[in-house]
Amino acid sequence: MADRYSFSLTTFSPSGKLVQIEYALNAVNQGVTALGIKATNGIVLATEKKSSSPLADPSSLSKISLITPNIGMVYSGMGPDYRVLVDRARKVSHTGYKRIYNEYPPTRILVQDVARVMQEATQSGGVRPYGVSLLVAGWDEGILPEDEQEALEAGKEVEDEDGERKKKLGGKTGGILKGGPMLYQVDPSGSYFPWKATAIGKSATTAKTFLEKRYTEGLELEDAVHIALLTLKETIEGEMSGDTIEIGIVGPPADHLLGVEGVEGAVGPRFRKLTPQEIEDYLTNL
Amino acid sequence: MPGFDFSNYNRNAALHARGVPLPKATSTGTTIVGCIYDGGVVIAADTRATSGPIVADKNCEKLHYIAPNIWCAGAGTAADTEFTTALISSQLELHSLSTGRKPRVVTCMTMLKQHLFRYQGHIGAYLVVAGVDPTGTHLFTVHAHGSTDKLPYVTMGSGSLAAMSVFETQWKPSLTRDEAVKLCADAIESGIWNDLGSGSNVDVAIITPDKTTLRRNYIKPNERTQKLKSYAFDKGTTAVLNEKIISKADLGNFVSVHELTEESGDKMEVDT
Amino acid sequence: MSSPFSINGGACVAMVGKDCVAIACDLRLGLQALTVSNNFPKVFQYGDNVFLGLTGLATDVSTVSDLFRYKVNMYRLREERNIAPRTFANLVSSSLYERRFGPYFVSPVVAGLDPKSGQPFICGFDSIGCIDFAKDFIVSGTASEQLFGMCESLWEPDLGPDALFETISQSLLNAVDRDALSGWGAHVYIIEKDKVTKRLLKGRQD
Repeated sequence: MADRYSFSLTTFSPSGKLVQIEYALNAVNQGVTALGIKATNGIVLATEKKSSSPLADPSSLSKISLITPNIGMVYSGMGPDYRVLVDRARKVSHTGYKRIYNEYPPTRILVQDVARVMQEATQSGGVRPYGVSLLVAGWDEGILPEDEQEALEAGKEVEDEDGERKKKLGGKTGGILKGGPMLYQVDPSGSYFPWKATAIGKSATTAKTFLEKRYTEGLELEDAVHIALLTLKETIEGEMSGDTIEIGIVGPPADHLLGVEGVEGAVGPRFRKLTPQEIEDYLTNL
Repeated sequence: MPGFDFSNYNRNAALHARGVPLPKATSTGTTIVGCIYDGGVVIAADTRATSGPIVADKNCEKLHYIAPNIWCAGAGTAADTEFTTALISSQLELHSLSTGRKPRVVTCMTMLKQHLFRYQGHIGAYLVVAGVDPTGTHLFTVHAHGSTDKLPYVTMGSGSLAAMSVFETQWKPSLTRDEAVKLCADAIESGIWNDLGSGSNVDVAIITPDKTTLRRNYIKPNERTQKLKSYAFDKGTTAVLNEKIISKADLGNFVSVHELTEESGDKMEVDT
Repeated sequence: MSSPFSINGGACVAMVGKDCVAIACDLRLGLQALTVSNNFPKVFQYGDNVFLGLTGLATDVSTVSDLFRYKVNMYRLREERNIAPRTFANLVSSSLYERRFGPYFVSPVVAGLDPKSGQPFICGFDSIGCIDFAKDFIVSGTASEQLFGMCESLWEPDLGPDALFETISQSLLNAVDRDALSGWGAHVYIIEKDKVTKRLLKGRQD
């Protein structure tokens, strides 16, 4: 039997560490910086498109990927591992969700599914952990944060009148899923974190310090793109141009990308990548 | 999804062997058509779904989305047309994402026929596949056993003869968009009036290189007139033995998480 | 032997009203002509405002209702939210179609209000999961033909909760009175934005 000789490569060290995972994180920390910023009306994902040689053709390279019409992903670390995860994420969003519920998974569910794939690689025989960290950005249908605030305040008024405690809206279980923009980071260990803004890769620390200074609550998408470019500028080594920068945004539904009209309830994709020209336009306004 | 669950199969086969009839599936008796014109392709369908002689749905949708530029009209077992097109649509979307190209109509048709051939006709989907892709405008029919045809105008379903009679008398090479829409709508109407398995309204989809336009209920020749008198009953007409009102606020969840306040009990022990 | 759909008998109907929906079922459980129970409800609740009616073979009615209780609870735990009626309808559809070649002998009906828009939602299915989205009413069970006739004549758009209750109740009671295999009382649920009213109807016991 083949599996008799397949050992788990990820093994605890006596001090309780899984060094394979730490090595994977080292691979991530050598990767090109990628960042994500959440705004009130969308999210921006940005990264540098670095080619090893001036002879390489950058037009075919793509580091930011669409997973579902409302969810996009970027990575830092090993490109080949990332492409495997993109394929798995797209596939699982169909087989594990769309083919059952006839709708795309919410961001958190997709993140959990991808995180499960990455976790399994830390506990399976004959495989190594994925050498990437991911930033997953998506828009969920549901109660938007500002509407929820309103509803909560309305709820409080009722509470005062009746003088009795009413169940809080959107409790942990059996609540209504919070909608709006969602930004998650997934690590090689399979752990994931929600962020308002973050960065991964080589200059993650520098970028995060910069983001901490620049990030404000109630940010608009346009401002977020601006901040994303400023942050990249801090960390980037080469020159910034439409060909060396990649940007993906989660914004308002792009109905012009739908390709159909007259279909009841059809909404355009919210995730799209900016064209080099659009990036150039942002850069000139920087 | 080609993972069907057969765990009830033996029970049902045993019942069938004892003379129990098989369950009646909703079928789309149906008239569906398609026609190529200069600059695109039009498909159309009626909107009646039947279960035996009963009209199960008076306004169902028989035009199925595969990709923005590929649409399908379905006849036969309604569930089979619905799920087969949804499955192929899903596979094509993944294929299109990984190749970075627009899906092609021949790819769609080949995937459909291979899927249906694998199930030897037990999946009762009879489809008209139409679309525009970088290789041109295409129109196919796919039968439940896996055979396919490629023609400039096609009809399928129980009303196919009625619809084909319209095409055979009025079709001409090189049609304009409006002529093609009219021809398809007339063919469906012929099915609506002359075929008992077809009825209600006409749905049309026009596929061109830049976009698809769906005209849901393009023609509504069977609209129900308003009733002359209301049959609404007075309150209290029906004898009620017991009444229970559950307000949503009190409606507990099957699983609920309550936030505990400091004084409401012992705090859980946690590591510090 | 008769069809598995008409061994135990039973009827179910759902109707759309103005900002409300109704779903109702009879209470009979029989074995061919012999009535075994007059307290076998066929409408099940799967959340604040998601209801499922199941008619057909009683053993499958129980199995399928339990299966969806499991699936909906798993959904709730995984997603930390209640399932919406339309999502539930698609879950029912794909679950039934999975057994395309060995179906459950049931004809489900889903009724509820969309949690976001508050719009009424009803739909019906055949035993292999084909959805019938209706804007007016859905019927199922051994009295479905009678119910079609009753609903087609009595239903009208924009009925308020009280009028909707009378219409659905009269449709069901009068339909099952002409079906030997259905009847023996009925349950009627009126689902509104902030409350659900469940009523037990007085029906013939013959």
